[in-house]
Order: sequence, then structure tokens, then C-alpha cells
Amino acid sequence: MTKKARAPLLSKVYTFFIYFLLYLPIAVMILFSFNDSKSMTNFTGFSLRWYKELFVNGKAFEALKYSLIIALLSAIVATLIGTMAAYGIHYMRKKALRRAVTSVTNIPMMNPDIVTGISMLLLFAFIQLILGLQHSLLGFGTLLIAHITFNLPYVILSVLPKLRQMDPSLSEAALDLGCTPVKAFLKVELPAILPGVLSGAVMAFTLSLDDFVISNFTIGNSFQTLPILIYSMTKREVTPDMNAICSIVFVVIFILLLLSNLSGGENRDRSAFSEKLRRHKKGIAIAVAGVLTAVTAGIVVLFLLVPPRTEKVLNVYNWGEYISDGSDDSLDTVKAFEEWYYEEYGERVKVNYTTYASNEDLYNKMSSGAAEYDVIFPSDYMLAKLRDEGYLAPLDYSEIPNYENIYDEFKGLFYDPDERYSVPYTYGVIGLIYNGAKVDEADVTGWELVQNEAYRDKILQIDNPRDAFGIAMYALGIDVNTTDPAEWDRALQFLSDQKPIVQSYVMDEVYNKMESGEAYVAPYYAGDFLFMYENNEDLAFYQPEATNFFIDAMCIPANPTRDDETYLIANRFINYMLSEEPAVANAEMICYASPNRTVVENEEYQEYMADIHEDAMEILYPEDVDFREEYGKYCFRGLDKDTDKYMNGLWDKLKNTTTEEKTDITNYIALGLLVLIVAALVFFAIRKKRRERYYTEKAVAKV
Amino acid sequence: MGESVGMNNEKLIELRNISKSFDGEQILKSINLDIHKKEFITLLGPSGCGKTTTLRIIAGFVTPDEGEVIFEGKKINDLPPHKRNVNTVFQRYALFPHLNVYENIAFGLRLAKTPDEEIRTRVSEMLSLVNLRGFEKRDVTSLSGGQQQRVAIARALINRPEVLLLDEPLGALDLKLRKDMQVELKRMQRETGITFIYVTHDQEEALSMSDTVVVMANGSIQQIGTPEKIYNEPENAFVADFIGESNIVNGTMIKDYTVSFAKQVFTCEDAGFEPNEPVDVVVRPEDIDIVPLDKAMLTGQVTAVTFKGDYYEVIVDIDHFKWMIETTDRVEVGQTLGISIDPYEIQVMKKSEFSGMFGDYSTFSDEIEHLSDVETEETK
Amino acid sequence: MTPRPKNRRSLAAAPHMVWAILFIVAPLIFVAVYAFRGQNGGFSFENFAALGDYTDAFVRSASYSLIATVICLVIGYPLAYAISLASPKAQRVLIMMVMLPMWINFLIRTYAIMKLLEDTGFVNSVLQKIFGEEVTLHMINTPGAVIFGMVYDYLPYMVLPIFTVLSKIDPKLGEAASDLGCSKIQTLFRVTLPLSVSGVVSGITMVFVPSISTFYISQKLGGGQYLLIGDAIERAFGNPEKYSVGAAMSFVLMLIVLVSTAIMNRFDRDNAKGGVVV
Repeated sequence: MTKKARAPLLSKVYTFFIYFLLYLPIAVMILFSFNDSKSMTNFTGFSLRWYKELFVNGKAFEALKYSLIIALLSAIVATLIGTMAAYGIHYMRKKALRRAVTSVTNIPMMNPDIVTGISMLLLFAFIQLILGLQHSLLGFGTLLIAHITFNLPYVILSVLPKLRQMDPSLSEAALDLGCTPVKAFLKVELPAILPGVLSGAVMAFTLSLDDFVISNFTIGNSFQTLPILIYSMTKREVTPDMNAICSIVFVVIFILLLLSNLSGGENRDRSAFSEKLRRHKKGIAIAVAGVLTAVTAGIVVLFLLVPPRTEKVLNVYNWGEYISDGSDDSLDTVKAFEEWYYEEYGERVKVNYTTYASNEDLYNKMSSGAAEYDVIFPSDYMLAKLRDEGYLAPLDYSEIPNYENIYDEFKGLFYDPDERYSVPYTYGVIGLIYNGAKVDEADVTGWELVQNEAYRDKILQIDNPRDAFGIAMYALGIDVNTTDPAEWDRALQFLSDQKPIVQSYVMDEVYNKMESGEAYVAPYYAGDFLFMYENNEDLAFYQPEATNFFIDAMCIPANPTRDDETYLIANRFINYMLSEEPAVANAEMICYASPNRTVVENEEYQEYMADIHEDAMEILYPEDVDFREEYGKYCFRGLDKDTDKYMNGLWDKLKNTTTEEKTDITNYIALGLLVLIVAALVFFAIRKKRRERYYTEKAVAKV
Repeated sequence: MGESVGMNNEKLIELRNISKSFDGEQILKSINLDIHKKEFITLLGPSGCGKTTTLRIIAGFVTPDEGEVIFEGKKINDLPPHKRNVNTVFQRYALFPHLNVYENIAFGLRLAKTPDEEIRTRVSEMLSLVNLRGFEKRDVTSLSGGQQQRVAIARALINRPEVLLLDEPLGALDLKLRKDMQVELKRMQRETGITFIYVTHDQEEALSMSDTVVVMANGSIQQIGTPEKIYNEPENAFVADFIGESNIVNGTMIKDYTVSFAKQVFTCEDAGFEPNEPVDVVVRPEDIDIVPLDKAMLTGQVTAVTFKGDYYEVIVDIDHFKWMIETTDRVEVGQTLGISIDPYEIQVMKKSEFSGMFGDYSTFSDEIEHLSDVETEETK
Repeated sequence: MTPRPKNRRSLAAAPHMVWAILFIVAPLIFVAVYAFRGQNGGFSFENFAALGDYTDAFVRSASYSLIATVICLVIGYPLAYAISLASPKAQRVLIMMVMLPMWINFLIRTYAIMKLLEDTGFVNSVLQKIFGEEVTLHMINTPGAVIFGMVYDYLPYMVLPIFTVLSKIDPKLGEAASDLGCSKIQTLFRVTLPLSVSGVVSGITMVFVPSISTFYISQKLGGGQYLLIGDAIERAFGNPEKYSVGAAMSFVLMLIVLVSTAIMNRFDRDNAKGGVVV
């Protein structure tokens, strides 16, 4: 008796333990979504500020709106086509044909999502190529197609069993009683398979709502769904409003599941389910109608919340966190531009604002024609490259009178000597950001800090080839614009030597890792240092002798399909960003140095920066440095194609090769497991054979 | 083929040389059949004999490969089911699970856009016909098998079809209920005057209900006739064996009214064979008399005795052929038994493809019963 | 002789068939086309030759996902078994709770794990509160963290199919086994386990396929140092010049998945037919 009682207890303990692990991350996330501070480790007090942030920001709701629309549309279309398909497959007489159709249908389910995603990307890319289109096809349409495609097998698979369960004479009975085949389907077969159709539709809806991988390759740049937004948010600095979104999503799903469980009962038990469905027909109908109305109402509300698209859309593509966006009571310069434009010109303009994480991302998007942008913010060397390859349109400086606000020393630099294509937005310098509480000041002497063994696993490296190689080259005293492969190889050696002690390669994740104390040393931009310093006052900045000076500038990409008015608006957008109020707001938000005199000479701005860090102005605008001279010496220039390719090759090599010190023992574990599994299978197979032979021999002997 | 005996001689449906194959397998081989008005006709045969396919051809669910389906003089081969004035009661009823009893029955009328008032009167007529008054609002899945059966019949009959097709309608019911429903069906047929075409593998059902029985095997019609004729004068070994119990032995027709089998010469009532023509001879077990040995025409050893309630089933080995005899006399295993057969109990049949397949009870083989018990879909 | 009637009902599948050819078959053909297209536009294996640089990523993906799958099985089977022992009502709640995390986007789940495992994360801060300031368990940015992420994200895919099969096993079989002299443990190994092979097989497939092709998990939990094949593919498709290499990688990945699924299915079918007596 005791023995019997013990086994369930053990299993209860075990179950509890696994559930605890399963829910711990989620619980922590929900808990800290109510945290007063940014920290994810110390709960400093209850607050709803991150939820408020979410509402103020509006981005999440816009993304949610698109997610719902895509999910609803794709679920409806997939349910229609899929139900018809299941019906057709069910009545297919040729077995070979039926098998062929079902196996093709199952491909998106069997294939890794990433393969499905890239295969569709290639299809759309190829169509674009064939049609000779300038711009990419990726957008709402392609995303919808992709979602319908991966939803179809799930709908078909949930309808087919219902058709098989259905008494085949049902439709015959209907025909017999005078129905035409179509009527027989609608009046008799459809009601019989309805539970399957509905669960297929619900499955399609949720899968579509949840999908990230396939969307990632087929969405393009014109809008974001919720998972895509979350991805881009976790890629950059992660703010706790992420926790807030996730908590909301979790709670909503939890309630939905609970409801469906209460009303639907055990779905697995089909007959019981349909029995219930029949009994509670009214209840279910009301529930379904309720959910549908709720979703529709939700969409309507979201449409009201998020202002509808106006006539003119300006596509602005900027770095992440590189503009004043209204958070912390700052000026939302994009929104301010829209309002200003309406007041000034009496026309509504909608700015479609999207972001990228690196110059290379920007370049890839531009060269693939993946989206049409009207204003972009490339760095100097990338600007030169884009200009040389004909991706830029000249600006109309007559529409940019505020250009005179820019200091002369930032005009006519190498990337735009004739001042035709660009207006400087920010400039800055890369230095070493380090944690003063953990790093010995004596070690902070220059770039060699990034190779200091004492800080193993606490060092970050920039996750983009140009900057990472740049750091190696400054450390080694090599000209960063060299075309000599041997010099690049030396730089690679520097990075390979460093790799074993690097914690991770990061772009915008650097904020989180440095602010939280997760990492101690990171080469990054001076402006970002100030940004981080606001959240962690242990951080300090060191500017080595030789380092990268850069300028990010505003440009208008060449786009033959753009109309004159949009071009005009783009110029006016640039002009607006140069005017005092938005320029100051941006400079305060980004913390990078501004080439704009109305900013630098603005006292309020100076005070604001001093508030952040007492030496802020000195760090950003060092008096003893002649910018133009240093810039000429150390800036990145456009690399020629061969060197660029060579560098990227080296970078891939660096990232993909396991350094000796970090050789995974996992490979050996996996190998061991594999051997074990194969051995076990062989053992069982042999034993089975032997037993079979034994008893067949016996049987033969008997005969 | 044999003459058909109908309630009335007006032909309603004619099947002319109907053939049908599925996946290269021939299911029907040139079927010819006349169905008359007000007739209760039963297609009887083991599973796979083609009876359900024949029914489905009449209903319009299957189109024949060859031959003609003629309805009241018009060829209707390509007429879709919903345009035929024929309704079907399906094997497993095929009631619409999402509709209640009333709506199931009213289904056909609703399609025809019949006014509500008329629907109500006709449904209640039907409900009383099938004895289901008061069940209107019931959920069809909550009904017993017999009740579901009645709903299915009412649903089919409400359209006032010329012909009602019934595909093994009683197969899923238990024995007692089946007997009751047989009587009910017969009553309904009489009351409505509608032609019933009934498919079954149960010979007893066929004999007790039908005006005409059509025995089918291997895609062909073996015999058409009244139940009495089918039972008493089977045309070949298959029919003899399938309908009731039979001893089927090889014999030779020496001349008219004289046949020899089991190494003896018997007088019989059959004529019209070639002299010395090999034939199959059928003697029903209940028609064999046990007589004292000295009066016996044949003698043999009793090998088995089974008590069957109102009689004993006795297996007698007569010259290595196992005969079945039904008797009320008590006999012992091992006993030597003498039997005699009256001339009118001997049925002589021409040799057929089935000769030699049936008749010996040496293994108690129930092959036919066994086959027809495993009721599989004939057409898939 | 009437012509055989057209099977009009199967025509309902026509729109789907057109769709499948356009958006399932055609894209896969393009993967092959891009993978086998050389720089000069002709047929070539050069993209596959270029995969040499990614050997590490392939090997790493394969071994991580294999380990993760085995761990999922080792953790998931007892869990599914424990759930199947519970009362029907408890079963429903427990299964719902297994499914619930599945409905949360895996990006969010992965991110939540990252926040948990960091040196300054939740786990360490709890540890430090208990054992003192200097205790730090270094977990993030290790292969272990990546594998943990895979296990965490895909565990439900292992538990659900196994549970479904277990819950359908006739309890009388267990009684029959104990009647024939099996102990509880023996019953588990000789009856329950062999009967649930089909669930195990689909569980393994459902964990292995997403694990081997995942990206993002290694970016967040491996600090970008343990690049998996999924990451390499994603990276390649960020740059149009590398589409061909990316297509070649996808092609190989697809083959790996196809072959392993086929092996698993075959194993399943063998058992369905013959049944391995363990």
C-alpha cells in the first residue's frame, strides 16, 4: 500500500519541479514588468510606468494591429482554401494523387520554418528579378501569402479527420433527399465537419499571430507585426516595456485558453467534444460570435487609436534609438514634424519610421531594393559607398535653409566634397567604455584593454566587421582604409586572439550588458556612453589616441518611382530636423555630438548634458582636438569591392570558427549520445531478428 | 430467368445489361431486372455480390459502365440523385447529427421550399406512420437504433418517392428489434403503396418480407422468384445452399422422373434433362425421414448430434458424404440410421459454376454465414 | 457505353493545388536553383564548396540539437507519464499548463531565459542573496545556456505527443500485464514504453527539427559566439550577395531534416507493425 502511494507522490514532486522551471522565467518577467526601475534583478517598487510607456509609445499597438489583420485575413483565406482542399482530397479516387497532394501539403509543416521563410524570400526575389522591378515585392501581400501558406496544412489536417469520421452516406442522404452537391455540402457536410473547420481556423489564427521566423524573411520594411517588433526590440536595448508587452500577451492567452477549456472541454475526445458542441450549440455560437466581435472591435479600436494612413507617406529609415521619440516627456520629433508640416503646408504627412542596427544592414536593404526609403542616415564611409554606387539622390538645398546652422568644418568632407548629397546629423568618436568599479584604472591605457586577460568573459566586441576590424587596426597602428590583405590578416589575428576572452559580439545589446554590469569593457560610441552613464554611474569613458571619428548624415536615396511631392517632403523633413527645437531634442536624446550650432550654443542643452555627466560637453566636444584633422586621419572611408569582400570573408571566418580554447565538449557529448543510440538500436534490431528467427524455425519444424 | 411476381404488372424500373467495375474488378455482370409498381423486392446475397451496387445505381450514386437504367420508360443513367424520384434508407441511417428529429424529417420538404404549414402536417403524418409521435424535438443522437431507423424511414418517405431503397436497414439492430421492424416495414409498405427495394444478406428477412426475392452472387443474378419458389425450387447449388440448409449431392438424371445419387436410384418430379445428364440434387434436412433400417433407402452412421431446441440436427455419414438431417427423434452418435426421401422432396438442378462447392457437412463449414456476417462495404 | 463521370468533388482541391505549386513547390525549386547556381550563372557546386567555412556551425547545430532532444526526452517522458497518471480533471489542467508557454512567442521566452541566466540576472541575484555577494554562477553565453534555451523552448513539443499516446493506452493492458506477473516498473518498460513509441518518435521529430534550425536562441543565450546554422542562414539572407550560399546552407539543412525525419518515421512504422519487445 505504501509503495502505491509513493509513486504518485514522487511523480507529483517531479511534475511540480518541471512546472516550476517552465514558469519561472515567465513569472520573473511578469513581476519585473511592474518594477519601478529598469532593473531586472532588483525589485525597487511597484509601478505601472512600463505599461504607460507602452500606451504612449503607440508602436506596440500599431504592430498589434497589423498582427491581428494578418492573422485574421490569413486564417480566413487558409480556412476557405484548406476546407475546400480537405474536401477535395477526401473525395479523391486516385490514391497516388491523394498521396502526392497530402505530402506536398505537409511540406511547410515538416520543413524547418527558416527554410520555408527563405524559400519564399527567394521566390519573391526571383519574381522581382524577372519583372525587372526596382523595389522589392516584400510587404503586406507577401507576408499574407506566406502566412496563408504555412496555415494551410494545419487547416487541412484538422478538417480531414472530421471528413473521415463523417458517415459517408450523410452527403448521399442529402443528395437523395433533393440537395444539389453544393447544397449538400453546405447543409449537411459543413455542419458535420464544422468543429474541425473552426479549430483549424483558430489554429491558423494563433499560428499566424505567433509567427516570427517566416515573417522575418517575408515582411519587408514597410511595417512590423508584433513578433517582428519584439525581435527588433530585443535586438536593441531592451527596455522593461518589453516585459509589459509580454505580460499582456501572456495574460490574454491564459484567459483565452482558460475560456476555451471551460467551454470546449477536452478537444481530444472527439465524440464527446462534438456531443458537447451540439448540446451547447447556442452557447458555442454565442462564444464564437463573441470572440469574433471582440477581435473585430479590437481592430476597429486600434484603427481609431492609431491614426489612419494619410495621403502622403514618408519612409524614414534610421538607426535604432537615434531620434527623440517622445519617451520620458521628450519631444517626439517625428510626430512634431507631422504636425508642423500640417500647420505649415496644410497637408497631412505620415512618417513611416523604421530602424536598422548597422550600416551594413542599411546597405543590404538598399542594394536588395528591399524597401523604398525617402530619408536615411548612413555613416560617412557608407554614404560614400552608396553615393558611388548611385543609390543617392542629390538634395534640394533650396528647401533646406537650415543647412546654414551646420558648422563649416563639417561641410565638404570626403564623402560629399561638393555638398550635394548630405546634411550632417550627428558626429562622434569611438572610445572605451568601462566599468570603473570593476576595471583597474591602471589597465585603461588604450585599445589593449580589449585584450586584457584579467577581464575574460567581461569584454564586449562590436558585432560588425568595419568597426571591429577598425579597433584592431587602431590598436595595431594600421591605416583603417588599407587595401593590403596582409594588414587585414594582421587585424584578424588580433580579433582571433581576442575571441576567447570576449563575452559576446553585440550592437545595441551593449547598453543592457554594460548598464547591468554584465560586462565591464566595451568599445563603443562616446554618445552612447553618456546614455549608459545615466543608468549606471560606475561607467567611465576613455578615448584612445587613434580612434574612429565618424559623421552620420541625412540623405535621400535615389528612387525613380518616387513622386516630386514626396521628394519635396523629404527635403523639408531634413530641414525640419536641422531647426533648433527638434535638433536639441534629438541631441539630448541621442547624446551624440551635434554639428548644429543652434544645439551646441543652446544653454538649456549645455545644462541638460551637464546634468547627465559633469564632463559631458568636454567628452563630446573636446576643445583640444581639431576635428577636421583627426577625422581626415582616422575616419573610415569607402572600401573598394575587393577589400570589402576580403574583410567580410575574414569576418565570417572569425565568427564561424571555434577558437581552440572554446572547443565545445558538447560535440563529444553529442557524439557519445549518437553512438549510444545507434548501439541501442542495433542491439534491439538484432535481438528482434534472432527471436523472430527462433520462432519461425520452431514453426517450420512443427510443419 | 424466372418470372417475377409483382403486386401489379406495370414495370416501374428496368435494368438492362448493367455492368460495373471498380478498380478493374467487375462488380456487376450484365444485370437484367424488372421492378414493378407497389412491389416489395429484395436483393439477397452475400457481401460482395453486387446487391448494394445495384441499389446505388438505381439511386444514382453510381453510374453503370454499361447498360441502361430505365425509370417509367425513360433512360435515367445520367440523372443525378437529387433529381430522381427515389429515396434511400441508409445502412447506418445517415441522420444529420446537427438537426433534431423534426428537422431531419423535414429536410427534403425544406429543400423544396414547401410552406411551413404543410411541412408540419406531413411531418406529423410521418411521425405517426413510424410511431414516433412526441419525438419532434429530440436530438437524433439520443435515439435508440430502432428509433433512428424509423426517423430515417420517415425522412425518406416524406418526399413521397415512387421507390424507397433500403440498404440493409435492419443490420445494426438486435434480433428482437429486427423482427419487430420487419413487421413494421411490411405494414408501412402496405399503407403507403410505395415500391420497396430492399437489400439484405439475411435470407430469413428476405423470405418473410418480400413479394419477390432476387438472389445474387458474384455480380450476377442467380434466381428471381417468390420466396416459396426460391426456397422450394432453387435453380442452382448456390441458391439452394444460401437459402436455408441443404444437402447437395452429385447425381445423374437417368431419364425423366428418375435420378440416381448416393449409389441409389430415386424417383423424382423433375423432367426435361438429357438422358444421363450429371445434375446437382438438393434435399432439405427437414425433408428427410428417419425410418427403420429395413425400410431405409440409404443407411449411414451418425457422427454428430446437436440439440437445437425444437429439433435435433443430426449429421449422418452415408458412403463418406455427410448428410444433415433435422429430426425430433432422439438418436445417438455412432448409431446406424436408415433414411428415406419422398419423390416430391427431391429437387434436381442443372450443374452450375457453384456445383461441388457446397453441400457436404463434413466440416460444419459455415463459410457462407461467416462471409455474410462480416458485413463490409460493397462499394468503396 | 457512358463515359465515366468526372470526379467533380475532388476539384474542390484545385485552388489549394495551384497555391501549393506556386508557394510551396516553386519556392523550394528556387532554393535548389540558387544553391546550384554559380557566380557565372551556370550550374555549379561552388556554393556547397563555400559551406566549408560553416562546418563548425553545422556540427554545432547538430550536436546541440541532438543533446537538447535527448534531454527533452529524458525530462519530457516522465512528465508526460506523470500527467497521464493524474485524474482526468488534473490532466486537463496540467496539459493546458504545458501548452500555455507554447503560445508565448519563443522570442519572449528566450529573452526571459536570458534575463534569468545572466551573471547579473535573477538566478544569480537570488543566489547572491543566499550565499553572499561573491557567488556568481556563470551560465549565460555558454553552450549549456544555448542548449537549455532549446530544451526550455521545445519541451512542450515532446510532452504533448507522448501524453496523447499514453492517455490513449487502454488501462486494461496494465492490468493484464500485472495479472501476468509484471511489476509496475516492468509494466512501464515492457508494455507502456513500447506502446508509446509513436508518441516518442513524433516528439523527437518535433523537438529536433526546430532545434537544429533555430536562430535567435544562440544570439541571445550564446552571446553570438556559438553561431548555429540557423544564424548563419539568417545572416546570409541579410545580404543579397550571399543568397546563393544561404540557399546552399538551407538545402543541406533541409536534407538533414528530411533524412532524420524519414529515419524516425521508418522506426515508428517498424514498431507499429512488428513491435519491439523490450
